[in-house]
Amino acid sequence: MTDIFRFLAQSMRYPASEWFNEDFWSVLLSLLDELQWQEDKAELIRVKAGAKDFLEDVQIEHTRLFINAIPHVVAAPYASVHCKGDGTLYGMIAEQTKKFYREKGFALAKENDLPDHIVYELEFLAILANDDPDGQKKFLETLFTPWFKIFKSKVLEEAHHPYYRVVMNLIDFFTREEL
Amino acid sequence: MQYGMIIDLNRCVGCHACTIACKAEWDVPVDKERNWVRRLGPANTPEGLASTYYPGLCNHCNEPSCVPVCPADVIEKTFTDSKTGQTKSMEVAATYKDPFNGTVQIDKDRCLGCGACADACPYGARYVNTDIKNEEIGGEGIADKCTYCVTRVEKGLEPACVQTCLANARIFGDLDDPNSEVAKYVKKGAKGLTSPAVNIGPNSRYYGNKKDMYLLTTTSTPTEMPSASLRRSLMARLKPEMRKVKNFGLLGLAGAVLVSGLTEDKKE
Amino acid sequence: MSFKVTRRKFLQTASIAAATLPLAKVVSAETGFVRDPFTPPGSLEGTQTVTGGVCEMCFWRCQLVGKVRDKKLVKLEGNPKSIDNGKSICARGNAGIKLLYDPDRLKFPLKNVGERGKPVWKQISWQEALDECGSKLKAVQDKYGSQGIAMFPHGASAKYPMDFFEKVVGTHNVSEASFFQCRGIRDMAYMATFGLAPDENVDMANAKAIFLIGCHFGENVHVSHVKKYLKGLENGAKLIVVDPRYSASAAKSDIWVKIKPATDTAFLLAVMNYLVQKDKYDKKFVEAHCVGFEEFKKGISHASLDWAAKICDVPAKQIQEVAEVLAASAPNVSVHPGRHVSWYGTDFQRIRAHACLTALLGAIGVKGGFVKGKGVKVKGITWPTVAEGGEEHNLRLMADKYHYAPPGTPTELIRDACITGKPYPIKGCVVWGQNPMQTIPNQQKMVDALKQMDFIMCVDVMPTDITMYADILLPEACYLERYDFIKTGTQWNFTDKQQQYIAPRMPLVDAMFERKDEIWITNEIAKRMGYGDKIPVNSLEEKINKELAGVNLSIEQLKKEDGIHIQDGKDPYGVPEDFEVQLYNEDLADKGYPAVPTYIAVEEAPKGFTRLVYGRSPVHTFNRTQNNVWLHNAMPVNPLWLNDEIAMKMGLKDGDEIELVNSEGVKSSSKTVIKVTPGIRKDTVYMAHGYGSKNPLLTVGFHAGADDQQLITKLAIDPETGCNGMRNNFVKIVKDGKSLDIPA
Ligand code: SF4
Ligand code: SF4
Ligand code: SF4
Repeated sequence: MTDIFRFLAQSMRYPASEWFNEDFWSVLLSLLDELQWQEDKAELIRVKAGAKDFLEDVQIEHTRLFINAIPHVVAAPYASVHCKGDGTLYGMIAEQTKKFYREKGFALAKENDLPDHIVYELEFLAILANDDPDGQKKFLETLFTPWFKIFKSKVLEEAHHPYYRVVMNLIDFFTREEL
Repeated sequence: MQYGMIIDLNRCVGCHACTIACKAEWDVPVDKERNWVRRLGPANTPEGLASTYYPGLCNHCNEPSCVPVCPADVIEKTFTDSKTGQTKSMEVAATYKDPFNGTVQIDKDRCLGCGACADACPYGARYVNTDIKNEEIGGEGIADKCTYCVTRVEKGLEPACVQTCLANARIFGDLDDPNSEVAKYVKKGAKGLTSPAVNIGPNSRYYGNKKDMYLLTTTSTPTEMPSASLRRSLMARLKPEMRKVKNFGLLGLAGAVLVSGLTEDKKE
Repeated sequence: MSFKVTRRKFLQTASIAAATLPLAKVVSAETGFVRDPFTPPGSLEGTQTVTGGVCEMCFWRCQLVGKVRDKKLVKLEGNPKSIDNGKSICARGNAGIKLLYDPDRLKFPLKNVGERGKPVWKQISWQEALDECGSKLKAVQDKYGSQGIAMFPHGASAKYPMDFFEKVVGTHNVSEASFFQCRGIRDMAYMATFGLAPDENVDMANAKAIFLIGCHFGENVHVSHVKKYLKGLENGAKLIVVDPRYSASAAKSDIWVKIKPATDTAFLLAVMNYLVQKDKYDKKFVEAHCVGFEEFKKGISHASLDWAAKICDVPAKQIQEVAEVLAASAPNVSVHPGRHVSWYGTDFQRIRAHACLTALLGAIGVKGGFVKGKGVKVKGITWPTVAEGGEEHNLRLMADKYHYAPPGTPTELIRDACITGKPYPIKGCVVWGQNPMQTIPNQQKMVDALKQMDFIMCVDVMPTDITMYADILLPEACYLERYDFIKTGTQWNFTDKQQQYIAPRMPLVDAMFERKDEIWITNEIAKRMGYGDKIPVNSLEEKINKELAGVNLSIEQLKKEDGIHIQDGKDPYGVPEDFEVQLYNEDLADKGYPAVPTYIAVEEAPKGFTRLVYGRSPVHTFNRTQNNVWLHNAMPVNPLWLNDEIAMKMGLKDGDEIELVNSEGVKSSSKTVIKVTPGIRKDTVYMAHGYGSKNPLLTVGFHAGADDQQLITKLAIDPETGCNGMRNNFVKIVKDGKSLDIPA
């Protein structure tokens, strides 16, 4: 599972040519194969084949969904924007998340970063997946799933590009399976 | 000792600094308020055209109607007088009036979040924060309201709203101490918002000129006690029973009672 | 590897879990997170106090401390060491943390791969963004000359880049909103009268009378300024408020002059004429310091009480009463210079009247009068002037107009040049912290000016309306995340112990995401435009340290002193011997402007319309704070004040939802509600400014309340200064799609 979570975390980073490449692509497709999500796979392949600049399309979509966009940023990838509180960054759930990392003996390498970014949470799940199934379960139950549900539905509703729909479903699948 | 707060309307400029400082101090959800400022007027009064503000907050009443309705576990709680060190024990539910400093407080870790107290307050001073709950006792949220920032006051600071008020319009202190500034204001005529039907001894009081006080009292005084909701009376009725049940919350009964209370309410 | 587990199997496990509730829940809740509901612990619990903050939710710059818990800024408070705002900060100051953590804030450099106005954003690296800015600006400069670049700066962080574009690149086409749409007229009118800019330097705390024309403290809040005002009232000062509306200040006044809008100058002339005629002015002061008294006396002699009463629609007796109170309180009178004064396009004359009245009362350098605090001067470090001449491209000189324009170029001249290409094309645009879509009247004209540009870059903290027109959009660190501006001043009450303070802005937390400060951004662009050798400092920290060294301080020292250095001050009272007041200003006469303050009538509302005036809300700094959740929630909309009798005639009720349409047919794109009140004249409606943002990126502020700026399409231009007057627009109320005539 560690590898899976790390892969999912990677897929939510800003798409850059250094990693959003053929290798990544083939792993993604084979994962879809294993899951027998053939339709998703076919759609991704179709869209990629038809794209003028596939990377740029995904970058634009990432920016629009997660950074700044018109008509509004669809889903900032932080727990505290969606859950408990007033929709701003570094809310209560972010502090709780940080506390959880600490209790497990971890802290962010970049201390000033917001702890509740989806990439960090997935990376953290990867760490827990190693040897702390209870911790993983609790993290999912109390911190991850409550906001991810909301986040995912916002993304699914607004996504123009199949890539992030597929990624959302993958994250959903693997985080729910572990409950 | 009875802590109290005076709002001097002659000084207040309606800037809202107090309400926002309170939000920051206590992480108050954006759509809820521990204190508030409402702009009143401009409107005609018998004393002439007037425009003023209603900076409101919990009144830490002498006979708080919010306290007896609380259905949470009753425990024996020991209070300490911060000045003399004297102690006193009382049986209290999750909200109570402190016998020493006269403030009305909530034990956050025992609150069921049922909202009975919020319903019972004629001033609308309480809210239930549903972002947090005591899940192990089946809580639905946690009630919150102005605490007069006692934790700050105990450390020698002012309440957050008082500290930030650029007009010095908010004055905090011990009403029982005749030399305190608040007591002097009371002598000068600072009044709580009371009416024949709502007379529960508010300790947050207002001072201002005639026209402003006219506008404030005619627009902002509650004129009736909240009618007891079915939920609230159910709680109250069950309360003696509950007293017998030790650790009532942990048995999961709280959740059950609340659920039925809620459905009853809906049928009303 | 467990991912071959099927969904069905997953669902089975889930239903087992559900069946065991709620007892299982209780049990599982025994340890760890669930039992800790994380009740807010207050700002004292586990926090560290970080000093050295300087607020910039508005530009008063109160001194702050931050309460930081584990890298999160949980609360801002006034710095208890401050002798300015002290432990107080206003609502906006308190809400600064919601700006810091606003999810809509700009985070990374963005490139617009769509159209201007309908952008499609793509995150790009700083490298790419800066290369693009540098090369595109250079291309404009090469093709059209330096004058082909226009800049719209605003705020402390815009000073350094502004100096770069003015002094190094060499363009005159810089237009600051704070000058041209706000305070510029005031400063220039006082310059032409006292020889110095007044700021808001009136000693209200020690006044016997405070005279406010349009100022509405309470709705307009600057902490130490409001303290002065309240101290004055506490000390028994008589408060005179001239305003068409029963404003927050009018509500505390002794005399409320319910004046017809746009006639204030007539009122002031009548007061001054009365004082002169009745010999109630300060003869000694006038003799010692004033120039042109006789011409002045003659020039205002027509302004009788009755003349003004008719124009202003107030009783002659009341004008007399005001004059008498002022005379009786002289010289301890605060005639407030005003702040946002660009109202009717005749404002230079009105503000001159403020200054002349101050002089007639001898209210200069005395307790309660016009008194400038004696603070410390800290010399700023900035770009050297390298661009030679350039005067031949100065639009203002070319037009031979607006001889009293504040520094920079009037916005209108820039926009006209953009649109017509004459006298020369302007094809590059740098917007830094300003939102000219909201601050400058006539939005369509702004759009036209922007659309024809070869390149537009914006630097901002928030995605404001203007940022939708950027080709490259750069995220700036906000005032809580960077070093910056060195605030200096004195204790707020001039009769307290004389003290001076120096408070540089220091970061309370580190900048998140890829936000950068203006020094870094400007330097990087400078390098790419070939000016790398002119760079004066390499970082903000270095700049502040060098500036502080000029007064024998350093950042390190300031940190030791809790962010504020305090030293003994100087008595601010007294008038320098050579202080000269130009009651009659010859230079004005030479340039063809009225040399004695003169009332100029402005256009009246057409039938069925009424005049729209606007003001401030205490929880907003115009548009800049619209997206702040706390502030937004404190006052979510800007109700339209409508006189109760008019409302009754029109069948409108308090709280009715309406829109507005102006006399040129422009409709507000969002709704607001009506506030029915006797506290406003029948011929005027009022609303707070800055609401109704259009950039949908701002999730909170989007379409909240109506945007008055949108309705300000008629441009009045002050002839002396070239600044915009914004209260000459007339509106009708639109309810349920029907536009309603407003009865007279
Ligand atoms: S901070 Fe003070 S002046 Fe401002 S609204 Fe509150 S009580 Fe009034
Ligand atoms: S104001 Fe309301 S909440 Fe406060 S003590 Fe009185 S009844 Fe209770
Ligand atoms: S007046 Fe308010 S917003 Fe302006 S600097 Fe002071 S605290 Fe900040």
